[in-house]
Order: sequence, then C-alpha cells, then structure tokens
Amino acid sequence: MDTRTLPAQTRINGVSFNATPGQRPVLVDGTTTIVGLFQKRCAELGNRTAHREKDFGIWKTYSWADYWQHAKWIGLALRKLGLQRGGVVSILSEDRKEWAYFDMGIQAVGGIASGVYTTDSANQLKYLVNDSDSRFLIVENEEQLDKFMQIEGEVPGLLNVIILEDEGLHDLDHPRCLMIDRLYEIGRQAERDEPDAFEAEIALARPEDVALLIYTSGTTGMPKGAMLTHENIMAAIEAGAHRLPTLPEDEQLCFLPLCHILERDVSIYFPLASKSTVNFAESPETVFANLQEVSPATFTAVPRVWEKIYSQVLIMAQEATPAGRAAFGMALKAGMKRAEYLIENKPVPAGVAANFWFWDRLVLRNLRRMLGMDKMRRGGTGAAPISPALLKWYWSIGVPLVEGYGMTETAGIATINTPEENRIGTIGKVVPGIEVRIADGGEIQVKGLNTFKGYWRNNEKTAETYTADGWLRTGDIGRVDAEGYVTITGRLKDIIITAGGKNITPAEIESRLKFSHYISDAVIIGDKRKYLTCLIMIDQENVEKFAQDRKVPFSNFASLCAAQEVKDLIAAEVAAVNKEFARVEQIKDFRLIDVLLTAEDEELTATMKLKRSFVEKKHAHLIEDMY
Amino acid sequence: MSEAILKIRNIESFYGPIMAIRGVSLEVRPGQIVSILGANGAGKTTLMKTISGVMDPEKGTITFDGEEIQGSEPHKVVQKGIVHVPEGREVFPLLTVDENLSLGAYTATDKAQIERDRELVFSYFPILKERRGQEAGTLSGGQQQMLAIGRGLMANPRIMLLDEPSLGLSPLLVQEIFAILKRLNEEQNMTMMLVEQNASAALNLAHHGYVMEVGRIVMDGSAQALMASEDIQNFYLGVQEEGARENRRWKRKKTWR
Repeated sequence: MDTRTLPAQTRINGVSFNATPGQRPVLVDGTTTIVGLFQKRCAELGNRTAHREKDFGIWKTYSWADYWQHAKWIGLALRKLGLQRGGVVSILSEDRKEWAYFDMGIQAVGGIASGVYTTDSANQLKYLVNDSDSRFLIVENEEQLDKFMQIEGEVPGLLNVIILEDEGLHDLDHPRCLMIDRLYEIGRQAERDEPDAFEAEIALARPEDVALLIYTSGTTGMPKGAMLTHENIMAAIEAGAHRLPTLPEDEQLCFLPLCHILERDVSIYFPLASKSTVNFAESPETVFANLQEVSPATFTAVPRVWEKIYSQVLIMAQEATPAGRAAFGMALKAGMKRAEYLIENKPVPAGVAANFWFWDRLVLRNLRRMLGMDKMRRGGTGAAPISPALLKWYWSIGVPLVEGYGMTETAGIATINTPEENRIGTIGKVVPGIEVRIADGGEIQVKGLNTFKGYWRNNEKTAETYTADGWLRTGDIGRVDAEGYVTITGRLKDIIITAGGKNITPAEIESRLKFSHYISDAVIIGDKRKYLTCLIMIDQENVEKFAQDRKVPFSNFASLCAAQEVKDLIAAEVAAVNKEFARVEQIKDFRLIDVLLTAEDEELTATMKLKRSFVEKKHAHLIEDMY
Repeated sequence: MSEAILKIRNIESFYGPIMAIRGVSLEVRPGQIVSILGANGAGKTTLMKTISGVMDPEKGTITFDGEEIQGSEPHKVVQKGIVHVPEGREVFPLLTVDENLSLGAYTATDKAQIERDRELVFSYFPILKERRGQEAGTLSGGQQQMLAIGRGLMANPRIMLLDEPSLGLSPLLVQEIFAILKRLNEEQNMTMMLVEQNASAALNLAHHGYVMEVGRIVMDGSAQALMASEDIQNFYLGVQEEGARENRRWKRKKTWR
C-alpha cells in the first residue's frame, strides 16, 4: 500500500482508526480486511483468551492462538478438499467457538461464509445450499446432519459435509461426510506441505471481496443472500468503535444466532478490533444462567430477551415478603428519579443521587448481581422495536440500556443511541461515517461504506434496493429531528390501504401493542378491507400469571387464549392503544393466536418476530372470522 | 355431558420454597376415568396429595360435588368420598388382608354395608379372598396393589385417586389390574383419576387425559386425541419417528399441539 495516501489515524481505546470515518481505505490497526485484522490480532495476542465455552458444566478458555491454529487448519483443509476463492460454505450450527473458527478459516482462503439457522427445516436448508451454491456444509450434530440426509440427493453442488459433534455418529459411514477432527488432520497435513499457503491466501483478500452471505428472513418471497464485503464489515467495526466502545478486558456473552448480522458483528467481528473476550452461552435456553455466570461488560439482546428479564424480576418482586416488596418499590422510585436526569443527560442533583446511592446499596446492586448485570457498562437492544417504558426501567435499576438500528444490508449498524447521547423512543443518531436522509414518501435511506454489495445472484433485487444516486433504501419509514435522532414509524411495504383509501403504517400500531406486557407480538390486518383488525400473540408467562392471580382456570395454551378474562384483558390493552390513534387507525376486532409458536414454525423469524405474510396465510380463518 | 364432580381451579402447591404445582386446572366428570401423564417430578403425585388433603394448596380451589374442599383434613376428604390409593401401595405389612380391608372401611359405621363391600372387593379380586388370613407383607407386589385398591374400595368412594397402580409390576399384571379397573368403572360406574408413567396403559383405560410438565398442564384432550398426538407418541408412547438415518438418537422439540 502506498503510505503517502494513507488517511490520518486516530486511536480509540488503543486501536487505530481513520481520523475521518467513512474514508477509504477503511483501516483498523492498519488492516483493510477482516482476515488481515484477524491475522494481526492472533499474532499479537497469542495465548490471551479469545473465547470461553462451557464443557460439562465448566467454563473453559480458548486463546487467540487456538483461534488462529484451528481457522488455519479449516481454511487449508477446505482448500485442499476443493474450496476455491469466491466459493460458499454454509454453517448450520448453534453458537460455539467453531462457528468463529470456520467463519475466519473460510474467509481467510477467500471463501464466503453463509450461516443457516438451526431452526430451519430440511427444505429451507436445501434452498439455501442450492441458492448460495455452497460447496461445503458444516453441521453441528446428528440432528442437523439428518436435515442434510433428507435432501442428500437434491444438493448436487455440495462436496462435503463436516460434522462438529460425533456423539451418536461413531458408526457413520457416508462418502460425503467427515468429522471435524478429520478435517483438522487434513489441515495439519496441508500446513506441513505448504507452510505459508494460509498467510499467502490472506494477503490475497481485497476490501471489495465478498466475505459473507447473510440470508435475510424475507417476510415476502424466498430469502435473499445479502453479500457483505470485507470493507462493509470494516466500516461497521469502525462505526462500532466510535459508538459502542468495547475494551480489551471486557467480557461478552454470545447467544443470539450468529447467522444474524447483529450477533455476528458483536461477537465475531467487533472483538477482532476490541480484543474483548467472548463467552458462548451453552444453549438458547440457558442464557439467563449464563448471563449471571459471565456478568458481561456489554450485552446485546433483542427486546424479547429484555422483556423476559423484566418479567422475571417483576414476578420475583411480587412473590417477595411485604418488606422486600416495599423496599423494591422505594428503590425503583429512587432509580426512576435518577433515570429521568440520566436519560436527558442532565447532571443528577445531589439529593437524588444520594437517595439513589442508598437504595442502590440496599436493593438495586443486589438485583443487578442476581441478574448478572453488576458489571454491565452498556446494554444494547435492536432488531425490533422496544418499549420506552422498558428502557426507562432498565436505566432506573442502574443498567444503561440503549436502542440501535441496523439491517443486514447495512452490515448491521446504521444508527444508535449511546449512554451519553440517548433519546428514548428514537433509534439514535446515525453512526460516524454514514449518512442518512429521508426520501419522498418518508423512507429512511442511508449511504456509507457499510452498505452491502448486492444480493447474491439477484441483480434485479439489488437494483430495487439502491436508488439511482447510490443510497440504500432501508424500506423503513421515519423521520430525523433537528439534533439528528432518527425515529422509525413503519415499514414501507407493510403499508395498508384500507377499502376507504386510507394509508396506514401498521408497524406504529403494532409496536404500541407490543409494549403491553401481555402482548408478545401483533399483526395488523386491513389491506383492502373496510376496517383494521389484529392477530395477537400473547405473552405466555405474563398472561399465565394474570390468569393464576385472577383464578381464571386454564389447562393448556389454547384454553388460556380461549378464557373470556384473557380476551377481556387483551381487549382492554387494544382499547388503550386505540385511544392514541385516529379513528381510521383504530382496531375494531382482534383474535388471539392460540398455538404456542416456536422458532421452528414458519410464522416466526429466528428472532421470534411474527412474519406478516405467513401469519396472514396460516390464520386466514381467524381473519375471515373478523370481517 | 353431566356436571364435573371434581373441579380443580388454579392450584399452586409448594414444598417449602419450591413450587411443585404452578397453576393447574382440571375437571373429572362422574363415571369418567381421567388420566394424568407426566415424567418424574412433573407434580402428579403432589396434585393427588393436594386433592386428598395430605398437602394444602397455597392458592386455588378444589370443588368436589359443589363443595370447596381445598385444605381440608385428609379424613374429612375421605368421608366426602375421595379415596387416595397411594403410590407404592403402602399396605400395612404386619396386618392380615382382612384387617387391611377393615381399616379401609374406617369411616363406615354400617356393619352390614362393610361386609357387602368386602364381598364386592373379593368378587373383583378373588385372590384376596384366598389370602384373607395372610399377612399383607407376604403378598406379591401385584397382590399388594390389589389389596391397596380393595382397601380404597372399602371406603365406598365416589372417586378414586390412583397413584401409579402399575409401579413395579410385570406387564401381564398391569394388564390384569387395569382390566379390573376398567370393570370397576363400567360395572360400578366408579369415577377415577389415574396418575401414570405407563402412558399406553393409562390412555387405553382412560376417557380423558392431561399431560403435566414441571408443574403445569401442557396438553389435554380425549384419550384418542392424545394417543394420536405426535408429541405423546414420541415422548410417552415410545414411538420412534421415521428418521433419515438408522440409529437416530435426537428427539424433536415438544410443541404440545
């Protein structure tokens, strides 16, 4: 690289970045590609801990040297087995250190990593493998392997399947399958044969090369693979360093799917720059216990997780002794008072601070310790709207929780609030290096080095996503205030035009509904209809608690949804939301979805959001019932 | 259908700080056999104990024949016509079969009625008549189970709570005892609530079933509907799902639909 043209540098928490964000080449500690940064970090950090994973109940540590060595074997072995630069490898596994090893190993030899949700069916897997033209498939265990077995004959492009856990598969003898240990062996041999090949491959990487494919959940039509380049991710890392400072000694907890850009950024790419330690949760079910054990410095989750923690605390408080309950109430009040100032970023008056100090010592500190939030400097939420009241509640118990916004196509980051610059109810200011504008029709559009290269083998969709002057159309509608805080009000393609010709953005009404503790998600119906109606998914835990307290009998989830008292409860919540909207935007009727949906159901995204089109199709009878 | 004789509403029961039943509601109609399925620790036995008064619920109501009985003393509950045949039989080992049966009639005063009941028990369990002078502890497991059920019948109950009658018995004996339970239900119109691990035996006998998991009911329906459910087949009836591979070990997640 010609040193004369290198942009001026600045240091953030010990890492050097371009002094002017958004400038080319995007430099992070002098590197321009993910794998270049990976190589640099592994070399300088060596035996320092990179990852922790729980093995038979004990947290074990894995170093940056392990990271490097395994990624190297993986990269060289895949290359040996036939992976070429630009070839795709699909990863079908829960979060674990090998996910990161593969991500780096694949990219280092010029491959493209593509994640598949473990909740996807065999059919979805077939589509993803074929659409991405994957050469290799990484499966976590026998359960995931069986998905491949079901579609074995229909994925001709696949050379090999690599299995991470051999439990129950010792007698597996399949020409296309091999165990991870065998892959490492091949890698070890390749390393002996060509000791410098891995480093040579890394040097070939260019910022504009595609590094990963992320399939977007696709509420309409089949999923599309968004191509993200090294530069896109480096720009996201740069933006993250400015707005989400993370320190080398920070502990993090990784539990959202790594197929999703949010967790991928936070747990794989950002730590490459920040040198923080990533702890992998044992399973999605043990997150709360793991959170307590790890007590991370920063924690990023989706609103559902924050809601769950809140509900648990509330239930715990209700079941405490009267004295404990009173103390909790007082502490919360003291916290709320202080939060009012903190949120506005105003100095906290001495009296309020002293009062808080007292209740913090007595109650809140213990609460945070119990939740595993005693060391939390910053909590993050994204991927779905969160209730302002909930954000405030976290601030009042002493957890600075901020909301951000991003999408796969912006490499996961676009705007964000920070504990210092925070406006609740907005998604924050645009991150450094990225520009935002509101187009005609209210669409939020962004421009920056983080915006993706396009959809994999789908130029038509790519063209639809970019404007003629090169801005990315987010598809979200919103506004920017005078100070630069962005607020989202809806989704462009979800706009409902009622039979009366009125345009309505359902997202606004839906998020208001979701802010109720009893409603976990809602879908507004009304396109080409006389009036608006709504399908509602209740929050099982809170509604069960309500029914239990009111002595409303129920046996299973369906009977809970059928109980008149529960219907009345939700009707009251709907009525409260209706008051905030104009007449034509009011919900005339609703139905409860009386099956307990799981991530395996096609109506839900992996982050547990309802997918409009699927919900409308699957529950058509409920909808027709309302008209 | 007739009004439920036993109605349980939002019951919560604790062992110290541990909540063993987290809000259970269910109904038993006269003449019906209702079966409760669930793994160890699901709270089935706790539910039985809560109904029979051995444990007091923290919350919720139990209505028997229109009268609230939650928290009543066990002997009061027996007098109302609810008999609990406990898990593991618990016959008095040093007393004879006859004496055990007499203890079952503890709440009865009419001597002639007691003798009629005894004959009824012997008509269903002839082996007990043969062994009437023998100490109960010397009976086989199956015979002890029969004695425990017989002892329950001696109280002339309106509903029997049977806690795992198949426990530790050979398949043949399970069949035999369940056949007798079926006859008791058909001929005497005996209402029963049956807790079982042996799901296939229980669903074959019962009219209606509830599935409990960690203190909650996760599914309920007619016995046929439950037997047809994929979750029940996989997790309770031991049906192996068709896999893509032989030797499949993993199980899909339960959805309870």
